[in-house]
Amino acid sequence: MNPLSEAHLKISRRQFFGKTATGIGAAVLSSLINHKVYGAIASPKNALGLPHFTPTAKRVILLWQGGGPSQVDLFDYKPGLAALRLQELPASVRMGNRLSTMTSDQKKFPILPALKPFKQYGKSGRWMSELLPHIGNLADDMCLIRSMHTEAVNHAPGVTFSLTGSQIPGRPSMGSWLTYGLGSIAEDLPSFVVMTSSDKQKTCGQLFYEHYWSSGFIPSKYQGVRLRSEGEPVLYLNDAPGLDRVQKRELLDDIDALNHHQLKLNADPEIDTRISQYEMAFKMQTSIPGLLDLKSEPEKVLARYGPDVNRPGSYARNCLLARRLSEKGVRFIQLMHGGWDQHQNLDTQLEIQCKDTDQPTAALVQDLKERGMLEDTLVIFASEFGRTVFVQGDITKHGKHGRDHLGSAYSSWMIGGGVKPGIAYGQTDDFSYNVVKDPVHVHDWQATILHMLGIDHERLTYRYQGRQFRLTDVHGKVVSGILA
Amino acid sequence: MLIDKFKWMLFLTLVGIKAYSVPVDYTHDVRPILAENCFYCHGQDAAKRKAKLRLDTKEGQRANDIIIPGDVENSELIARIFSADEDEHMPPKSSNRQLTDEQKAILNRWVKEGAEFAPHWSFTSLKRPSVPKWDTTTWVRNPIDSFVINKLKKSGLVPSQEATKETLIRRLSLDLTGLPPTLNEVEEFLNDEKPDAYERLVDRLMASPHYGEKMALPWLDSARYADSNGYQQDGDTFQWIWRDWVVKAMNDNMPFDEFTVEQLAGDLLPHPTQEQKVATAFNRNHLLNGEGGAIPEEQRYVSLFDRVDTTSTTWLGLTMACAQCHDHKYDPIKQKDYYAFMDAFNHLPETGGINISSGTRIKLAKPVLDLGSPETIKKIKALEAKLKENKSEQQIGALLSKWIAEVAKDKDFPDREIYIAATLSESDKTDSQRSALRRYHYTKVLPIQSPELYKDSEELIRLKSEEDPMVMIMEDSKPRYTFILDRGNYESHLSKVVFDTPEFLPPMQTNLPHNRLGLARWLVNPANPLTARVTVNRYWQTFFGLGIVKTSEDFGVQSDPPLHQELLDWLASEFVSSGWNVKYIQRLIVTSATYRQSSVVTPYLQEKDPENRLYARGARFRMPAMLIRDQALETSGLLVDKIGGKPVYPYQPADIWGSLNITKERDFTYPESKGADLYRRSIYTFWRRTVAPANMFDASARNTCKVRTMITSTPLHALVTLNDPTYIEAARKLAEKTLHAKFWKSSRIKYAFRTILSRYPDSEEIKILTQSYNKQLAYYKVNPNAAISILKVGSSAVDATNSAPEEAAFTTLCLAIYNLDEALTKS
Repeated sequence: MNPLSEAHLKISRRQFFGKTATGIGAAVLSSLINHKVYGAIASPKNALGLPHFTPTAKRVILLWQGGGPSQVDLFDYKPGLAALRLQELPASVRMGNRLSTMTSDQKKFPILPALKPFKQYGKSGRWMSELLPHIGNLADDMCLIRSMHTEAVNHAPGVTFSLTGSQIPGRPSMGSWLTYGLGSIAEDLPSFVVMTSSDKQKTCGQLFYEHYWSSGFIPSKYQGVRLRSEGEPVLYLNDAPGLDRVQKRELLDDIDALNHHQLKLNADPEIDTRISQYEMAFKMQTSIPGLLDLKSEPEKVLARYGPDVNRPGSYARNCLLARRLSEKGVRFIQLMHGGWDQHQNLDTQLEIQCKDTDQPTAALVQDLKERGMLEDTLVIFASEFGRTVFVQGDITKHGKHGRDHLGSAYSSWMIGGGVKPGIAYGQTDDFSYNVVKDPVHVHDWQATILHMLGIDHERLTYRYQGRQFRLTDVHGKVVSGILA
Repeated sequence: MLIDKFKWMLFLTLVGIKAYSVPVDYTHDVRPILAENCFYCHGQDAAKRKAKLRLDTKEGQRANDIIIPGDVENSELIARIFSADEDEHMPPKSSNRQLTDEQKAILNRWVKEGAEFAPHWSFTSLKRPSVPKWDTTTWVRNPIDSFVINKLKKSGLVPSQEATKETLIRRLSLDLTGLPPTLNEVEEFLNDEKPDAYERLVDRLMASPHYGEKMALPWLDSARYADSNGYQQDGDTFQWIWRDWVVKAMNDNMPFDEFTVEQLAGDLLPHPTQEQKVATAFNRNHLLNGEGGAIPEEQRYVSLFDRVDTTSTTWLGLTMACAQCHDHKYDPIKQKDYYAFMDAFNHLPETGGINISSGTRIKLAKPVLDLGSPETIKKIKALEAKLKENKSEQQIGALLSKWIAEVAKDKDFPDREIYIAATLSESDKTDSQRSALRRYHYTKVLPIQSPELYKDSEELIRLKSEEDPMVMIMEDSKPRYTFILDRGNYESHLSKVVFDTPEFLPPMQTNLPHNRLGLARWLVNPANPLTARVTVNRYWQTFFGLGIVKTSEDFGVQSDPPLHQELLDWLASEFVSSGWNVKYIQRLIVTSATYRQSSVVTPYLQEKDPENRLYARGARFRMPAMLIRDQALETSGLLVDKIGGKPVYPYQPADIWGSLNITKERDFTYPESKGADLYRRSIYTFWRRTVAPANMFDASARNTCKVRTMITSTPLHALVTLNDPTYIEAARKLAEKTLHAKFWKSSRIKYAFRTILSRYPDSEEIKILTQSYNKQLAYYKVNPNAAISILKVGSSAVDATNSAPEEAAFTTLCLAIYNLDEALTKS
């Protein structure tokens, strides 16, 4: 068994029932208040006292859409814009919002309506772009949030803010917080796995920095492990040439025997930990290649993800792997896909980008649903910000215009794991520029995700530099309107 | 309410709160409880203060009968913490804080015993504690031990016996130089029976040039030193010049006060030398964001905040960052203090952006110190003039256009991406397509089209990026006003401030200038209560794994109260009175009986003192990954022990920087070193911020100041030391050494084992290792190709004089020894 998880699962009766009468009272009370449906099932708590209450999701698949997809073109339906095409965006709408230096010198801000028509999907009749037919078909399961807003104006600070709660690199990322708080449920895989992909045209210049999945100041065993599409799937996973599995097993047995011999002479528990980590390393060397071997997937399932699924490192392949990882009990799966930063190439790239992501995303959700896993898997489709309704660049030229970053309003969506299905939450003004109803700040979004995993975002803290840090800093409110 | 409390008291008695004979201590027992649970709303931040009540000062505690010394019945604080009424109970439920029964009992007892108040220990001036009297003829070797034995006795523990000489020399060598001892050094030490053998060993190691390399490592973490800027372009820098300055300063035993002043304000000293200017690069080692769209002024403030955080954490052990937006919740740092402190760093002629590039690789931000030799600079100027005269830029542009037109016509052009880009009209190309074309043309086509032009322009780039290092330094030449920023927002200026030190600490001497130099001198003034304590604590951490104050990054109100405060204070005051003599104070630590104890953990010690805070045993902890690698290089004979110089590029997994190639601005192929540079010490490994070296696990990411790195144990670490070619090659080289060690022919296993661990294997270990070797040998005899494969790992030549199966089997044996817990651990 994975010793990481062992430590977490060591639930002593004393810890569970608390040392005092108030301990029991508070636990019962909170589970009653928060989860009337699940109230009867007392959820077991680990050494950190987590989960704080009964979770609705056991795991998260975060489909990160790096660069900032245009909500104007995809999710935030504004039929009124068509009539305002190329008219100047009223200055009162911009309200002195900070712009990136790419358009802050721009003299004119002409309105560019959505490039392609929207249509209604599902019984809920949700309006979404016709560029997303597969995702559109998820409408009745989906909770579409159209009132996201953030503080960052540029990619790296924006992604860092969304994933770690601070614009400056160095804090633990969401996946690290979750695995720190909840521990692992995977037997022979890391509990926080990251995969990256980018558009085939490689139009985006944004990088996926290691700090997007770093554990910051909490121990590094909680950092995301990146599965690579080229070379070794996990760094240093492969045995040295000329050292086969059987030999390696024997060698590890010998190391193990020698370490056990030392343990007899020295009761340092670190020796014991080392022994089990070496064992886990050996297991991972088998489990990860097995996970990546898609031979067992029926043709029908592969086809569902589209032809890209056959290309390692594609978004489609990563979506399929995400499903396989979630089946193995990986707690937090972070897919990072680039290519949405369409400043100059919205008209040429948007459609291609939608094609690359639409079908695989929907296939993943469908697969989870068929396996009965969508109930306790939270799938999130999100980005660091959205894009402006006004055009950037030269509207008269093909492939020379697009939209700039916009933090004051953007869209994201969630499915499964206890989220309210078939709803659209929040509202923006007529220009998709400012939130006018039910704003969801990045910290609110983070608090809500933690909530669905049974975590009170104010109580999952880590002491560092004399301060109790948390993912949501000193902010964040759970958005109860999107919880089932 | 009284009845409630009565019930509680009864409950506490029943659950068996220990009977205390010593009165509770405010600093150790009480303040941590109040700080954790009360100060957030009843602390120093007036804006957040509830009910006008503050509990962090004596006046606040005594006001309005909150606390009546000796009178538990009528003290409001006691009533509130025991109240069963949810509206009355403190801390309130909404705070998510809860007192344990034991904490309640402590507060109760504290009030009963008179509610003694004491200011936070680390903010009070440093007084030299008297050394506890102890019979120096026994265990005690120096005053450190007197403090330690005194506490051990009170806790009913006794010191462990001295570690074996073999353990001691390995421990000392690793601690002082980061390298294990050679076999000869071990023999020499074992045979040295003079009473001062140990002390002479310490002196020899401290005089080694490798001492500076080892001691620089934690300082580089603190100074967030890296060889690139971070963020999108992640341009390379020349900050390694400063790294070499640090190594040299450590080797020269530069007094810590000088070390401080030169790094913070060397440029402001009268007639500063070049070295003194280089030293100031300390505060230019931060991230630089050259991302398209980044707002320079915003980024400039990010750097300013970083300088404040790094400086205050490194010297004061304070997290000032909280006061960026509001008065600090726990520590008495006001928002005004924060910005007045920041003013020291706010006079650089910097823009917040990047403004010096050489080729596509080097990216720097002014101000810089140009360290190119006069000849190099002359060559650069001449080449620049020549290229300008030749209108080389226009020429290259014309050749590029010509080539693009040709490619567009060539349907069979091998690179499809380039072909597609070429076919697009100029306005249809994306920026990255343009960069891709430019790069392809420059590297593959221009050399054929115009060899001379290519040669000259390459030579210029080479000169500028290889031979004309420019280190980013501090310089106060730009007058600027500093404002308090509303909620830390760089666009919202409140009132103007000028440099000053935080109000709650002793003020600056009146003769000091109100700038960085004044700041630096104030930090190392003996009246500063923090600097010496914080620094000595980090030295202790280096040797014992944990500081005397465990939270070495935080000495504020929320910090870990030290069990051995007197020892820390004594060491700190000894440090100051020795003239901030670093080697002297470190020598004191490593020559103590405390340090020399065996680190064997018994179940009894593990239970009584799991973290070894009382020092009834020596320290035992896994080494940093950098040192694990250095150990493998040294023991295998691969290490090239040249000190200093440009960073090097040892083995990394294939395509380690591949993810960065996305920008197409520059070639992010990992430029793996050849020959000697593969085997330099880890401190010289190129540190790319966006993708740190993959085999340096558990290390600081070098993005922000880190004074304490975690020591964890994960399967990924095991994969590194089992599979990284670094370790396979080292194992092979050690196998070769072993097979050639004539005198050890009958005991090769002992030789390899002792080379890594400095001791002989016992009979059980010999048995396991012999069986292991025989099994592997049998395998390789049957599979000679497998033997050849493993011997080929790494770029050092294969020794053909050995039989391949034998050497391969020995290689796996050495690999096993490198992976033993004992080999990974300093014990």
